[in-house]
Amino acid sequence: MSINDATTAVNAELAGRDDIIVCDGVDKWYGDFQALKGVTATIKEREVVVVLGPSGSGKSTWIRCINRLEQHQGGRIIVDGVELTNDTRNIEKIRSEVGMVFQSFNLFPHLTVIDNITLAPIWVRKRPRGEAEQTARELLERVGIPEQADKFPGQLSGGQQQRVAIARALAMEPRIMLFDEPTSALDPEMIKEVLDVMKELANSGMTMMVVTHEMGFAREVADRIIFMESGEIVEVGTPEHFFTNPTEDRTKLFLSQIL
Amino acid sequence: MSDLLKSDVDLEAIIAQADEDEITLRPDEPSLPPGEWMRKNLFSTPFNSVLTIVFALGALWAYRAILNFIFSENTQWDAVRVNLRLMFTQAYPDENYTRVWVSLAIVAVLAGLSLGLSKVGRGLSLKKIATWCFGWGGLIVLGVLLREPSVKTDASGESVFADANGVELVRDDLGSLAYANGDPAPSQGLELIRESFGSAMGNRTGWWIIGLLLLAVGAAIWFGLGDFRRRNTFVPAIPFGLAGVGLLVSTTWWYGWGNYTFSEEGFTYEPGELVASSTRNPWTVVFLVLVGAYIVGRAIQRTERAGTVRAITNLSWLLAPFVTFWAVLRGPVLDWGYVASVDIPLYLLFAVGGGLILWMLTNPHIGEAGRIIAVVILAIAAFTWISAFFGWFGMLQKIRLSILFLGLAALLAPNFKGDAKQRMKLIYGWLGFITIFHVMVTLINTPSSIEVPTEDFAGGFMVSIYVSIFTMIFSFPLGVMLALARTSRLPLFRVMSTVYIESFRGVPLITMLFFFTVFVNLFLPEGMELSLFAAVVVAFVLFSAAYLAENVRGGLQAIRRGQYEASDALGLTTVQRTAFIVLPQGLRVSIPPLVGQVIATFKETSLLAIVGVFDFLRMARDVIPAQTEFLGVRKPGLLFICVVYFVGAYAMSKYSQRLEKQLGVGER
Ligand SMILES: Nc1ncnc2c1ncn2[C@@H]1O[C@H](COP(=O)(O)OP(=O)(O)OP(=O)(O)O)[C@@H](O)[C@H]1O
Ligand SMILES: [Mg+2]
Repeated sequence: MSINDATTAVNAELAGRDDIIVCDGVDKWYGDFQALKGVTATIKEREVVVVLGPSGSGKSTWIRCINRLEQHQGGRIIVDGVELTNDTRNIEKIRSEVGMVFQSFNLFPHLTVIDNITLAPIWVRKRPRGEAEQTARELLERVGIPEQADKFPGQLSGGQQQRVAIARALAMEPRIMLFDEPTSALDPEMIKEVLDVMKELANSGMTMMVVTHEMGFAREVADRIIFMESGEIVEVGTPEHFFTNPTEDRTKLFLSQIL
Repeated sequence: MSDLLKSDVDLEAIIAQADEDEITLRPDEPSLPPGEWMRKNLFSTPFNSVLTIVFALGALWAYRAILNFIFSENTQWDAVRVNLRLMFTQAYPDENYTRVWVSLAIVAVLAGLSLGLSKVGRGLSLKKIATWCFGWGGLIVLGVLLREPSVKTDASGESVFADANGVELVRDDLGSLAYANGDPAPSQGLELIRESFGSAMGNRTGWWIIGLLLLAVGAAIWFGLGDFRRRNTFVPAIPFGLAGVGLLVSTTWWYGWGNYTFSEEGFTYEPGELVASSTRNPWTVVFLVLVGAYIVGRAIQRTERAGTVRAITNLSWLLAPFVTFWAVLRGPVLDWGYVASVDIPLYLLFAVGGGLILWMLTNPHIGEAGRIIAVVILAIAAFTWISAFFGWFGMLQKIRLSILFLGLAALLAPNFKGDAKQRMKLIYGWLGFITIFHVMVTLINTPSSIEVPTEDFAGGFMVSIYVSIFTMIFSFPLGVMLALARTSRLPLFRVMSTVYIESFRGVPLITMLFFFTVFVNLFLPEGMELSLFAAVVVAFVLFSAAYLAENVRGGLQAIRRGQYEASDALGLTTVQRTAFIVLPQGLRVSIPPLVGQVIATFKETSLLAIVGVFDFLRMARDVIPAQTEFLGVRKPGLLFICVVYFVGAYAMSKYSQRLEKQLGVGER
């Protein structure tokens, strides 16, 4: 009862906001293999959505479709009112609105931390260098590593690198942040420092889609949890609903395996 | 421009960091005592012992043979000593020689600045210096012992002969050989007599002193310093290097280098004449310029401006070959009327008009029209080339090229959309490029004032080195473009580049050289003609680019997918991704094979001799042996150019190793 109330309350609260990501029957094939099967979901502004699911269920594929690192073949994806098509101008626009953080950080090893962060603002957003550097230093402050600005990525720990990657994405002032297993490549003692940054970001009102296996994070921060399997969305709900009273058998099985 | 400067600073930061890392990460390995070291490394198993002995004997034999040749009284080193100028600059006329000195001075200024501006490395470790002293000292002492005794000479300096029975002959009053008792010498079976081993050793006191001194210095450093930490003390390398160059230059003041030059009266041979008389002043000036520039560079290095000056110096290095070759050495004769009526108006048209077009194209609101205009300009460029092929509209080649460049710049324009500052970056780039281009073309299109008996004013080492440098400069961008095309997603680019690369890699360089020097002029439209120099450079560039492309491709393939994805996710365009992410990483990985290719090109310039260029090799092989004083004398010259080629190639290889280590290739 209380859970249903909570879900209703969340839905009511979300109802007032704009849809920022709309996926409508998204299909994606790799050759003959269908990785996404009619994925339909809507994400509201300032919402934090955690995507869960077993390995190979299509989580990465889905969020990579949202900034068009992968191309979907069926259905529609509309991000911030712009539909993703082959039109390169739309893609350029979306990519500067959507930040992405990868499992393997993907920092540019030949550039210093500060240059990693300022490259895109200067060349894509056309910010003057001084201003971009100023912003970059503020962001490094925000993710807790202001003193690393002039080092190279190879000289940082995994946790620090991932925080630089978050700062790099934030420097573009995105409206949406996508995270694909941001802590999976980290040693346990570094996971918390990255999750703390993500929590702070969520509290600041950023729209976030997070693929993760960190159940604690999902429970604490997510507004909604989307559970996927075999390329389909199986169940959607609030963390309370999801962790205490899932309706689908497949969800229960998954939870029993990981919890 | 500011971004250029920026990335340069970063490189320096990497280098400084790498140097630091090396100190902390690689503690000194403890050295074994020599006896133990030998047992462990040379005589560990019977098989290894045999190998060691065989190899050592072979090396000793070769060393002795080389020494015997170098020090033999039959080896006419005069052929080299006297012909140095000929070997390096061929028939470059004496009365224009100031141009050579000016070119050298330009290089000296740049070299001094670069050395001064470089982040001070750790220099030479004392341990290394000790090892060198041991090595060279040992080699010299060994050489003194190994070398066969010289021919015995009598009081007047003439060689002493003996008859078949070993009886020594003397010279009579007329200088002919005879027995001591006055009997005439037999006409056959005479042999030169060599000194005894003892007196040979005695006659080599100078060498003994040098060798033993080096060994003593090495030992003093090695044992004097004691513990290993101190052995890793460093002394600055650059001042030592400069001192070495100074020592070499000082020889012009006290050693008879001899002189053999080309001037209005033809070749002049002044044996024994101190080359100093004509070159010691310029050499000294060049050396002082080098030292002065180094001091200035050092001073700038400590200031804020270091990054900017370094970037300007690097750019000047790129321009220096063109300026020295076309503007200085070639002695262009400008037709000022033509320059004022044609060249300058054309230049202004492209500078101002092109600048305006680019200003328009970088307007943030231009939208689709920008792409269309760029395509139109490229289409016009393509049309002018096609029409050139059919000979429809005659126009200056530089107009065609300028339109093409403008089209390429227009393609880049979308990357510079933004505020005025952003837009001016592209405009400044364009103005700088088009200025250099038009000045160079104007100079190249003038007749040369240098009168030489050969087709081109450049000859000897000068032509070899310029062909290498121009090949490097032009084949590098071409190779990178081919590599990018070959890894591109567009099948057309991929196929074209693959066809190019595979066909040029499948053809021997010498065939290409013949093709371009002999046949190409037959195919070219009327009025166009490749000079011999241009033809060989084109052949080298096209050939070398195919190899460079494969090396670069290897580097590009080493870049992880995540780098592309991260760039895309940030919204970088393909051009930006290529320029800022892909190429810097790819080229870094390809440094070793790229330098290998440069070294190969440098050595392959010796093929120029075969297609009729009077290059370095040809001087030693054909020109010197044709001089009346040195008829048929080839060996010393050939050995000398071997040494010069070796020194050049070895220096490049060392430099690439340093660069590799500093950039941490293979460690990241
Ligand atoms: N480039 C590709 N080519 C072919 N198949 C692919 C490709 N990328 C992913 N797949 C397949 O698509 C399916 C979904 O992959 P995806 O990476 O989205 O899974 P995931 O849910 O992110 O799994 P994980 O938790 O292991 O990261 C998998 O079966 C995978 O094998
Ligand atoms: Mg995944």
